[in-house]
Amino acid sequence: MSAPWSLPAQEADTLAAATVYSVQAFPVVRAAEEVDLSGALAAPAQVADVLRRFTGVQVKDYGGVGGLKTVNVRSLGSEHVGVFLDGIQVDNAQNMQVDLGRFSVDGIGRITLYNGQKTSRLQTAKEYASGASVHLDGERPLLLDKDGGKVRLQGGSFGTFQPSLQWDRDLGPVILRVSAEGMTSSGKYKFPFFDTTLVRENGDIRSLRLESALFGRLRRGDWRLRLYGYGSERGFPGPVIRRASGFPFSAERQADRNLFLQGGWNQDWTPRYSSAVRFKYADDYIHYDTHPEKNPMALPYDLHYHQRSGYLSLAQSLVLADPWSVDLSTDVQRNALDSDAGQSVTPRRTVFTGVLATRLAWDRFRMAAHLVYQGAWDRFRTPNAGGWSRENTYRDAWMPSFSVYYAPFRWLELDGFLKRSYRLPSFNDLYYSQMGNSALVPESAAQAGADIRFHHVAGPWSWESRISPYLNRVTDKIVAIPTSSQFRWTMLNIGRVDVTGLDVRLEARFHRQDWTVEAVLRYSFQQALDRSDPAGSTFGNQIPYIPRHSGGIDLVAGWRNWTLSWNTVVTGERWSRTANTPDYRIAPWTVSDAGLTRTIDLPASGSRAKKPALEAGMVVRNVFDRPYQVVQGYPMPGINLMLSVTYSW
Amino acid sequence: MKKATLLLLCGALAFCACRKDPVPEPPSKDADLTGQKVDVSGFPESTRKLFVLNEGGMGSNNASLDFLRFSDGNYVTGAFKKMNPSVGAGLGDVGNDIAVQGDELWMVVNNSGIVEVVSAKDETEIAAIAVPTPRNLAFDDQYAYVTSWAGAYASGSYDENGYYVITDSKNPKGQVYRIDLKTKKLAGSVEVGYQPEGIASYDGKLYVANSGGISSQLPPDYSYDNTVSIIDTKSFKVTQAVAVQVNLKNVYSDGKGNIYVTSLGDYWSTHSGLYRIQTKIGSEDTVSKVSDYVSVSSLCGDTVYCIGTDSEFDWSAAHVYKAWCVQGGNKKDWNLNVAATTLYSLYALDADTFFVGDAGDYFNPGTVSCYYKGAKRWSVDAGVCPGHFAAY
Repeated sequence: MSAPWSLPAQEADTLAAATVYSVQAFPVVRAAEEVDLSGALAAPAQVADVLRRFTGVQVKDYGGVGGLKTVNVRSLGSEHVGVFLDGIQVDNAQNMQVDLGRFSVDGIGRITLYNGQKTSRLQTAKEYASGASVHLDGERPLLLDKDGGKVRLQGGSFGTFQPSLQWDRDLGPVILRVSAEGMTSSGKYKFPFFDTTLVRENGDIRSLRLESALFGRLRRGDWRLRLYGYGSERGFPGPVIRRASGFPFSAERQADRNLFLQGGWNQDWTPRYSSAVRFKYADDYIHYDTHPEKNPMALPYDLHYHQRSGYLSLAQSLVLADPWSVDLSTDVQRNALDSDAGQSVTPRRTVFTGVLATRLAWDRFRMAAHLVYQGAWDRFRTPNAGGWSRENTYRDAWMPSFSVYYAPFRWLELDGFLKRSYRLPSFNDLYYSQMGNSALVPESAAQAGADIRFHHVAGPWSWESRISPYLNRVTDKIVAIPTSSQFRWTMLNIGRVDVTGLDVRLEARFHRQDWTVEAVLRYSFQQALDRSDPAGSTFGNQIPYIPRHSGGIDLVAGWRNWTLSWNTVVTGERWSRTANTPDYRIAPWTVSDAGLTRTIDLPASGSRAKKPALEAGMVVRNVFDRPYQVVQGYPMPGINLMLSVTYSW
Repeated sequence: MKKATLLLLCGALAFCACRKDPVPEPPSKDADLTGQKVDVSGFPESTRKLFVLNEGGMGSNNASLDFLRFSDGNYVTGAFKKMNPSVGAGLGDVGNDIAVQGDELWMVVNNSGIVEVVSAKDETEIAAIAVPTPRNLAFDDQYAYVTSWAGAYASGSYDENGYYVITDSKNPKGQVYRIDLKTKKLAGSVEVGYQPEGIASYDGKLYVANSGGISSQLPPDYSYDNTVSIIDTKSFKVTQAVAVQVNLKNVYSDGKGNIYVTSLGDYWSTHSGLYRIQTKIGSEDTVSKVSDYVSVSSLCGDTVYCIGTDSEFDWSAAHVYKAWCVQGGNKKDWNLNVAATTLYSLYALDADTFFVGDAGDYFNPGTVSCYYKGAKRWSVDAGVCPGHFAAY
């Protein structure tokens, strides 16, 4: 169920004539978190804002509109979290980092998080191969008329202005969607720095996203094609440190451009046999410049990175005997990076991922087993006595996993999983850390987890609670170590982290006539201990940036056309170093956001079936104006406001 | 001035601590600071304190100053922050050099763009001087000299408000800034080679090691510098550039006409090593290699102590360190069995007393160990990357 066009609810119309075997209907283990954005009101502007509210997820946020935001699930490290757009991984062979700050929720219908193993039919092989996964599924337009669309104007604090447009057109067997979104922001905000107040400078951003997509229907199948272009130019404000007056903190700028074309075709050939083909071609360019002429403290880097990647995937699913099925997924990907950094090693990587998966799925008892093989063949230029030569390395890994689900009663669901996964060393780890270490092996993550879910429905009330204990172990952790010079780093497989955790999520809903009230209470316990070197001084300490206790509250109240929302995120004590000493303690913080939206239905014009609507929204972030830092040295903004007006037709 | 004379005798390099005459302990504002107690018996009585500058991690603003008080054996951490609470941001980002000059302690805080001058008696701030990307320090009786990479990307001057105004952004070379010891104000600069590092003063001349550490990462040439720039202090002009070896780091003057320069090598084919420049009156200076393999080094008197490893290209292997020293240009046997996770720095207080900085994982606080008469005596917790020492 990697792509929304195979979601059961949306599958119904395309498969009306086909037999849907029970084994095809559900994922084996339910998603840990799921948010349907298709009708969401007061929707936050970024995917990162949604993920911040997921239990057990830490969003590492460097602050500001254009600041890097990465996601870490259950202390595994962001490199172990795969981010998938319509089932196709959004990846970056250079640093394995996906900046979630760049994703708008516009055009995203559903966001799901799997802490362990996602298991549903016709997944791409890569969807099986990451420790945890976040799935962004594009919504398929639902058109009542020949065409429809929406225009949104959004703006507020930091001089932010973000207009967007989306237009859908029914072309018979195909629906066309065109969308565009621009953003400009000064990124300036005040923050306290010891006994003074400073202004965050050089955090401005301009960006433009242009996208078009085609959604097609076939007899017992469907296809879609997405052409995506994104360009931005932004400043990096840099860490806040002691700096002589007269020297700026930073003048670093980055211009980037991402282009990709991706598509998928799902076909049910017979009621028993289905296939899905997916492909992607991406061309990404980055220009990074420290602008030493504006900042005498800058190291003089003016670097260009050009990354291209091609990806092809075939997934096949066969129902052997209902409810038993087998899936075979095979992917091949080619990455190329050209850069003038790091002595131009021009790495090329070919990754093959193959998965054999089998599922047994009755309504109340389901199990699945997967075996993933991933092999990566790297070819890179290396300095040799007297010149350069091409070298090859091959890294491979087997990743097994097993999941089980059992619902003994209507009000109780139990599931569990065991999994081992690996993440490949990035090009930066291998070749660009000035002293690249091409001998690195993949970093391994072993996971075990369980979920206990209770449901209860009583009149207008419904309750759901989830308690999820887990154990993780990361070994051969890739760690950066400077050599004899501070500016020459090398990477070694030396780390080990043991994680013991517990996620608790309680949800209550009330619905009667004009009223809807939703409340979610979240709590996470994470003990993530450094187990690298028994003789080391930090052995047994909590690893950096992981709070032992964290949680939050979400409240949404709707009355007729009004929606009021409240969200509080609480992060307990953390340390910026494995040395858990007072010098490196980061104080606990609590930050709250509030939102209000009003929708106005307008009369339909002429023969059109859909009534146009106007929606006005307001979000106040950091309502209590609390100064806080997610990453040491990167202060977050104080109270700020965002207003939006949307007209849809 | 007794102290000025002493300094000149020590070759103007404040690393040296081989003092002979005892100094009475004055009452000090930092007398209340205490820390881990260590054994200081047998240490030279002429020394009051050993200062340790912990570099911290770049961008983490966690450079810190520790000191060991010889009168009672207290090892005090974070002394700058404790004695200067009004400097809220602490010492700053990346401590790169430290030296005692008279009763002053001078520290270079690289990524803060600050040369910090404090009282050596009680660590209270005297001046914070803005210098773009400062690296290392040397003194003569009138000026402090600071190597700077700033010229590597831009050169400029300070306006009347103390703001740095860039006049040339295309100039790729580094500078040596001159600071008046009395006024603590900048008094001119001179261009040297690419990314200058260590600097030493001897006989009216400054010897500056040019690394090219950044040039080596930049297109089109990706090449290191390999020269020592020699500056005449009277005219404050470069008189000569002597080719030595790639990626030069530290410079020591033995006060007897020998200048020693360390090279970090290029990390894959040229090993690190120690080179000697013999200064000659009336003829060209000559350059010769003393030995390969220098990971850490320290000057005491006329002797440079070095510890190195021949497996330096392979960072995944356990390193076997060998110690040796050089005096009068001759390599000599010297033995010190150091046990360190990450050997980061060495300091020779006298021929019997050595201090070794261990950076551990570079990310978390490291340790400082004392080796006395060839054997390890104690080890204390220091700050992140304990890299530089000075005795007072």
